[in-house]
Amino acid sequence: MRSLFDRMLIDPFNRIADQSAHVVPILIMVLVTLIIGGFLAFVARWLTFRLLQLARFDRLVQRTGFSSMIERTGVFRSPSDLGARFVQGLVWLFTILFALNAADTPASAGLVMRFVDYIPNIIAAGLVLLLGVVVSRVISRSALLAAVNAQWPGARLIAGGVRVLVMTLAVVIALEQLHIGSLPLLVAFAIVFAGIVFALAIAFGLGARDMARQWLEAKVRGSVAEEEVFRHL
Amino acid sequence: MDELFPTELKDRLEQIRDADIVVGIPSYNNARTIGHVVRAVSVGLAKYFPTQRSVIVNSDGGSKDKTQDVVMQAESGADDLLLVSHPVHNSYRISTPYHGVPGKGSAFRTIFAVAQHLKAKACVVVDSDLRSITPGWIELLARPVLEHGYDYIAPYYLRHKYDGTITNGIIYPMTRTLYGKSVRQPIGGEFGFSGSLAARYLEKDVWDTDVARFGIDIWMTVTAIAEGFRVGQAYLGAKIHDAKDPGADLTSMFRQVVGSFFRLMESYEDIWRRGNSYEQVPLFGFPFEVGVEPLTVNTDRMIHAAQQGVADLREIYSLFLSPQTLTDLTSYVHRNGQGFHIPDKLWVRMIYEAATAFRYRTIDRDHLLQSLVPLYLGRTASFVLEVTDSNATQVEERIEQLGQVFEAEKPYLTQRWDAVRKENLHAQSV
Repeated sequence: MRSLFDRMLIDPFNRIADQSAHVVPILIMVLVTLIIGGFLAFVARWLTFRLLQLARFDRLVQRTGFSSMIERTGVFRSPSDLGARFVQGLVWLFTILFALNAADTPASAGLVMRFVDYIPNIIAAGLVLLLGVVVSRVISRSALLAAVNAQWPGARLIAGGVRVLVMTLAVVIALEQLHIGSLPLLVAFAIVFAGIVFALAIAFGLGARDMARQWLEAKVRGSVAEEEVFRHL
Repeated sequence: MDELFPTELKDRLEQIRDADIVVGIPSYNNARTIGHVVRAVSVGLAKYFPTQRSVIVNSDGGSKDKTQDVVMQAESGADDLLLVSHPVHNSYRISTPYHGVPGKGSAFRTIFAVAQHLKAKACVVVDSDLRSITPGWIELLARPVLEHGYDYIAPYYLRHKYDGTITNGIIYPMTRTLYGKSVRQPIGGEFGFSGSLAARYLEKDVWDTDVARFGIDIWMTVTAIAEGFRVGQAYLGAKIHDAKDPGADLTSMFRQVVGSFFRLMESYEDIWRRGNSYEQVPLFGFPFEVGVEPLTVNTDRMIHAAQQGVADLREIYSLFLSPQTLTDLTSYVHRNGQGFHIPDKLWVRMIYEAATAFRYRTIDRDHLLQSLVPLYLGRTASFVLEVTDSNATQVEERIEQLGQVFEAEKPYLTQRWDAVRKENLHAQSV
């Protein structure tokens, strides 16, 4: 018959030793994966930064006008820095996935599976956001140029408004892709957009009714009194 | 090219078979003025080319004001009061809609195709809103082609000092500087050209670009010069036309003309990089003094446009103007009233930097061209303020001076062009 001592101390110790024999190698593997992943992420960031600098990526982005926006965030020093940190983040993400996979527990396996299933949604949302940024940029620049050439006051405000509207739409679609509650945002967007249109209509109808009348008259009659009659060509 | 012709036009051309001279008149809602133009052309053909077979072609963009009816019903005017002897051949008259992108260039394309189909020796095109055209214009534009072996005759008019500011401020001095021929009105609107040049134009694949619109005039002129065709000018007196081009607004007109010119710089780079001097182009006709219509210009509005442009579009300008140019522009543009001034050298550098950015697509081409409009208005205001008290001769001297600055700054253009090219190559190789 086993002594009380065995049952109180030796058995629990053996059980802990058995469990540790199973868990410690996993923990060590997870730790090693994280250390190697962290190192790889650092190297990837450094390499990407150097490569982007060599390719004059900052200058390229500067032409699109994103540079100032990136720098204004205060988080990234330059577009190359943003690119390098993005790659570092990706490497970290995959490192964590590897580490979770290495843990080989039902919970971690479930987490990894759910994340893998979610990847297409993340990619789709990312693409929608990227497209939103590009399209909003192009449309707002076109609006700015048209407003300046029409000599409208507040041309930059108009361009900024256009940009915000397009980006809001992109964010709503991206959230929809991520299955994150986008309905409140969509409703807010619709209310704000409708409000702006309504406000503009009232402002044009009341504040600029003479201009509206003249404009409509010119459209109906097909002629506008030209102050200048010289030809540019 | 026959696919350009509607069935009715094909049948008509089969009847006519061939012609010595084709006169083309593009139109869009010009019922008010085109009758006079058709009459002047008819008389010109009957009076000066009585033995030649001639065809008047109206290429119409779908007018809704019965322009085509006016063309077909216009009296020929070739009566005894105007003619010493009656013509051997009466001129044929055709009015047809054109195919393709709506615009002057597409209308011209149909005229070129008709000229080629009829194997015309000479072709003349005139605007349909002219009020000052006389029968003599047809002779001046066609005879150098028919009898003196010229391929391209550009018009030479007397215009009000404020008129034709894109011509005076950009197109004329740049054409002269880059292509070495002093054609004073390279985008005049009325031209004479040979059948072989019309055939050459038709070979080009440009008909879905701005050449199909207002870019046609500069495209015709530069193509003729750059490809070595024999070029001359004809003195036509004053050009008086309707106050406003129907449907033409400054931004799109500017974009089409300047964009076409910049695109030609890309096509003919090896030509314009070669020489550094220009030669005078022979002038046909008898130069005479003539009164021009008074014009009103609102310089305050133009100055405001330039100032707003520089304030609101600074970010865009920084993408294609050099830092020095942008600094200079900012310092000059904020002076008001009579003190407002954009110096020649600054203007020329802005244009050269824009042309380089256009070539290497530093920013979207359409955005680039649109962003130039406020700068152009500023420069125009500056020019108007400068020549307010000048007479026609002094204004011509002033334009000549600007041409010299364009020439002096040409090395800057090539240097900038090469630098941006190098940058692009480097970026691609990495």
